[in-house]
Amino acid sequence: MAGNSIHRSGSRPQLDLSKAEIQGNSEERDPTILLPNQTDDISHLALDIGGSLIKLVYFSRHEDQSVDDKRKKTVKERLGISNGNRRNFPVLGGRLHFVKFETSKLNECLDFISSKQLHRGGIDSHHWNSEASANENAVIKATGGGAYKFADLFKERLGVSIDKEDEMDCLVAGANFLLKAIRHEAFTHMEGHKEFVQIDHNDLFPYLLVNIGSGVSIIKVDGDGKFQRVSGTNVGGGTYWGLGRLLTKCNSFDELLELSQRGDNRTIDMLVGDIYGGMDYSKIGLSASTIASSFGKAISDKKELQDYRPEDISLSLLRMISYNIGQISYLNALRFGLKRIFFGGFFIRGHAYTMDTISFAVHFWSKGEAQAMFLRHEGFLGAVGAFMSYQKHGLDDLMVHHLVERFPMGAPYTGGKIHGPPLGDLNEKISWMEKFVLKGTEITAPVPMAPPGTTGLGGFEVPSSRGATLRSDASALNVGVLHLVPTLEVFPLLADPKMYEPNTIDLSDHKELEYWFTVLSGHLPDLVDKAVASEGGTDDAKRRGDAFARAFSAHLARLMEEPAAYGKLGLANLLELREECLREFQFLDAYRSIKQRENEASLAVLPDLLLELDHMDEETRLLTLIEGVLAANIFDWGSRACVDLYHKGTIIEIYRMSRNKMQRPWRVDDFDLFKERMLGSEGKKPRPHKRALLFVDNSGADIVLGMLPLARELLRRGTEVVLVANSLPALNDVTAMELPDIVAEAAKHCDVLRRAAEAGGLLVDAMNNNSLDGSRGNSSSVPLMVVENGCGSPCIDLRQVSSELAAAAKHADLVILEGMGRALHTNFNARFKCEALKLAMVKNQRLAEKLIKGKIYDCVCRYEPAT
Amino acid sequence: MDHLAHVSNQPNTQPQSQISHLALDIGGSLIKLVYFCRYDDSCRDDDELRSQNESLGSKSDNSRPVLGGKLHFAKFETSKINDCLEFIHSMKLHLGGFHDCTAPSSDKIFIKATGGGAYKFADLFKEKLSVSLDKEDEMECLVTGANFLLKAVHQEAFTYLDGQKEFAQIDPNDLYPYLLVNIGSGVSMIKVDGDGKFERVSGTSLGGGTFWGLGRLLTKCKNFDELLELSHQGNNRVIDMLVGDIYGGTDYAKIGLSATTIASSFGKAISDNKELVDYKPEDISRSLLRMISNNIGQISYLNALRFGLKRIFFAGFFIRGHAYTMDTISVAVNFW
Repeated sequence: MAGNSIHRSGSRPQLDLSKAEIQGNSEERDPTILLPNQTDDISHLALDIGGSLIKLVYFSRHEDQSVDDKRKKTVKERLGISNGNRRNFPVLGGRLHFVKFETSKLNECLDFISSKQLHRGGIDSHHWNSEASANENAVIKATGGGAYKFADLFKERLGVSIDKEDEMDCLVAGANFLLKAIRHEAFTHMEGHKEFVQIDHNDLFPYLLVNIGSGVSIIKVDGDGKFQRVSGTNVGGGTYWGLGRLLTKCNSFDELLELSQRGDNRTIDMLVGDIYGGMDYSKIGLSASTIASSFGKAISDKKELQDYRPEDISLSLLRMISYNIGQISYLNALRFGLKRIFFGGFFIRGHAYTMDTISFAVHFWSKGEAQAMFLRHEGFLGAVGAFMSYQKHGLDDLMVHHLVERFPMGAPYTGGKIHGPPLGDLNEKISWMEKFVLKGTEITAPVPMAPPGTTGLGGFEVPSSRGATLRSDASALNVGVLHLVPTLEVFPLLADPKMYEPNTIDLSDHKELEYWFTVLSGHLPDLVDKAVASEGGTDDAKRRGDAFARAFSAHLARLMEEPAAYGKLGLANLLELREECLREFQFLDAYRSIKQRENEASLAVLPDLLLELDHMDEETRLLTLIEGVLAANIFDWGSRACVDLYHKGTIIEIYRMSRNKMQRPWRVDDFDLFKERMLGSEGKKPRPHKRALLFVDNSGADIVLGMLPLARELLRRGTEVVLVANSLPALNDVTAMELPDIVAEAAKHCDVLRRAAEAGGLLVDAMNNNSLDGSRGNSSSVPLMVVENGCGSPCIDLRQVSSELAAAAKHADLVILEGMGRALHTNFNARFKCEALKLAMVKNQRLAEKLIKGKIYDCVCRYEPAT
Repeated sequence: MDHLAHVSNQPNTQPQSQISHLALDIGGSLIKLVYFCRYDDSCRDDDELRSQNESLGSKSDNSRPVLGGKLHFAKFETSKINDCLEFIHSMKLHLGGFHDCTAPSSDKIFIKATGGGAYKFADLFKEKLSVSLDKEDEMECLVTGANFLLKAVHQEAFTYLDGQKEFAQIDPNDLYPYLLVNIGSGVSMIKVDGDGKFERVSGTSLGGGTFWGLGRLLTKCKNFDELLELSHQGNNRVIDMLVGDIYGGTDYAKIGLSATTIASSFGKAISDNKELVDYKPEDISRSLLRMISNNIGQISYLNALRFGLKRIFFAGFFIRGHAYTMDTISVAVNFW
């Protein structure tokens, strides 16, 4: 099976492949495969119908956006990437959505499924929808007690049968999948501090999975499908809520949980200090504040039930149960020699205090030997597991780098609650954002991170009140959409992919986060202006611009309050969030016109620059080229300082001024090392690089006057050059789509570039013309190619790059990273298997101080030999 | 051990007036008194203890002559400590008992005491009875007591399962190591390796205090025994969520859970529209008892497993010779 046009493959497992044949010309790029014997209607949807919540996991295919541009086609030819690369990968790109409904509002859930045609395979599968609607064989995998209870209702309302999957199977399958596939899935939670734990999926087993539902199941997991329930306890979530209901007048679990936040258990629990007159029983290591007997004070007091505060009762209960679960779990871990204990289940709900108590118990009893960990998707284990039970969908083979998690905006959100179903429609989204502000809700309130098509939120009924009441954690542990991009790969040239951390700046330092918060907020008005202008400045664009500003501000505010809200936060994530948020409000390329203008202006002076360069001797030229890259890197719309500069002069003036200021030594200056590698010393000519990957940054002068001339120099020396650019726009960064035109324009003035571009297939039209003429020109040149990097951010996480970049990297022996985003904010500390050159001008005072102990406009030229 | 009412002692020598006849264990909910009443001939009964009498009392007594007489056991609620003081005062226990009115000046008098209250109420004893409490370590006392009783008293230990009580013969030479689970207000789990050789290895805050505390809040019971009594007539299925409730009356055989296994204590109180007043106190008490006993049994078992201990002795005021409690604990240990 190959290609994108098999609409039923991938997530649609169990295809009957018998008599499959390729329809039409098999030479075609994506031949349609006919599956005449495939009859069953297999759904993209799986459910976990619990007592209080229904969890949905569903898959939607990526809309086929891939414009069939000439660049891609030729790149694939050049790099030998065929669609066959995905041959063994039956999963198509798409998104895994997570949605919750209250079980009591089952009808909303049914409406949701029905409106999205999820039971028919989703609205995107028009291909077979029409014929399938008559099909009564549709089966949905489901788990949880409700799978039995509501089977008839599903049959009646949706005409689908529920295929019941074993709960524990699903739980384990879900946990295994999430732990392997999502980078920051597991975290520890001690004393209110959350820390993500990176788990090597080769070293995941065995572990203990503690699922806290009404009761508690303790499961030893030894591998995929290999597990055993080794223990459990009947004192679980049901006990908390059951006893809590009897003892307080709470009407919901969440209300009870929220009460506990203001409680003081000392009024009810008998502490060691109560028995020992305020003293510790230090001989056996019990401090005065240790609970000696839960509810023990309720014995001797003259007080009756109504004399106790419900808050205190709730807290006392919560501590008793959490602590007990932690203890029993630890004892079981000990018994089997397991170091890792993962806690999941509805009882936890991302509730900070619960997690703290359990962690404390495990830590206390194990004397720090064992670690309690929690899962971000804890509520979805069962549903994901049910989804996995479709089997043969190939998800098993998924690797972390195939998945990108996103947190777009847009569900109706008032009074601290999400009122689903979420908004998929842009207009609704905007008007909701407007209402959000009209209602006078402060902008800093936690905002729904629910993406279109899912709530993404920790659930519709998550208690989202913040701060003083329930710690923001409860709502903050958001679950985003998992974008499944099977073509993403780990950059093969990373020296140590396991140790690789893209972010240079650690945002868990709150001061650092605060600083970037201020920077991004300050930059926002200008960005909105640009964005609105890029869409013609219409009223509609203005509305969207406003909505974007609010949404992004709210995101920022949210992150200020709870930095780990969406997983581990790095600067790269923060910058990407902004781009994602722009796209969410359909600003596809806010800097389009600016980029165009600057490209034109720069291309106009390129011939002069090339002429100038060609008159220099080799050594001067190399220095001038590197200077040029650094100088041209000043054109960065992501930098406040540079935006201010733009108001003072033309591009060329700034460029020349900038270049004149290039006084060596630079703050980080490995130029001599690099020069020696390039030109050799004492008359010895070094062998040229075979292939260089140039990670480019901004449009305009940066690419045209900086990187292209450097590329040209490399080409001249017989080095193949691959320009690596963004797949999607981010600020004024040049994209892979734009590059061929820029190169073509530059090639008009330069033979070296022209021949290389032709050889690299970038000038397809010209080539075709030539072939028609019968004179193919001089094709002996090494090629100049362009590949996309797979991302749409000003930074780059090299754990997730496009397959074409990964393929291009295979023969590369030099990596050049240019610009702040890719060489400083990220990858400054990255080590590569091949030689690496990191070039950037630091256009931020703080970063300059922090990273290189320098000043704004200082330059970095870091050359690292292969490791 | 509560059922052990009196232990008699063989007269050896004349009493020494400075030895206090009283020892206390002042816990979080109960004060336990053990006092010695000098032997008068009418009390003579158990001959079999004669040989072991030298180990009576705290170890500091070892070299001292032991009086002949009777050991009495009494208890008070800690909240009614004044009753206790009154009792001691009226019996003149702190002065060496009834017959000994010739005690020396009282500021020299020490009473051995253990439990947290020995610290907490030291001043009160000083003030009310003019005696100093000589604090003995709680765990040490516990272990010493258990070792003594297990060795000295025939038919001290018994098993209890399905309502059947069966005495276990413990060979004093093959006693160690064992796990001693003392269920007071809270629960202490102590690994005992020999006389004076022990370690508190675990514990839980879900103990007798939890049963009585929660029980008091949930029912209108006036005392612990009443609550315990109620549990006899209760049916925990009304309140507990059983495996069968979840799996439509069937077992979850795959993982070895029968339909009647409690899946979630008080789990049914969630979904019902019932309020507290709609539940029978009997059922609540039963449910509570099972929850706590089960839990203690399980944690004890896990700890015994951890140290490879075959014998677990349960003791403490929570048990009170209460059949159902013992049964539940035994079931839990058996189950796990």
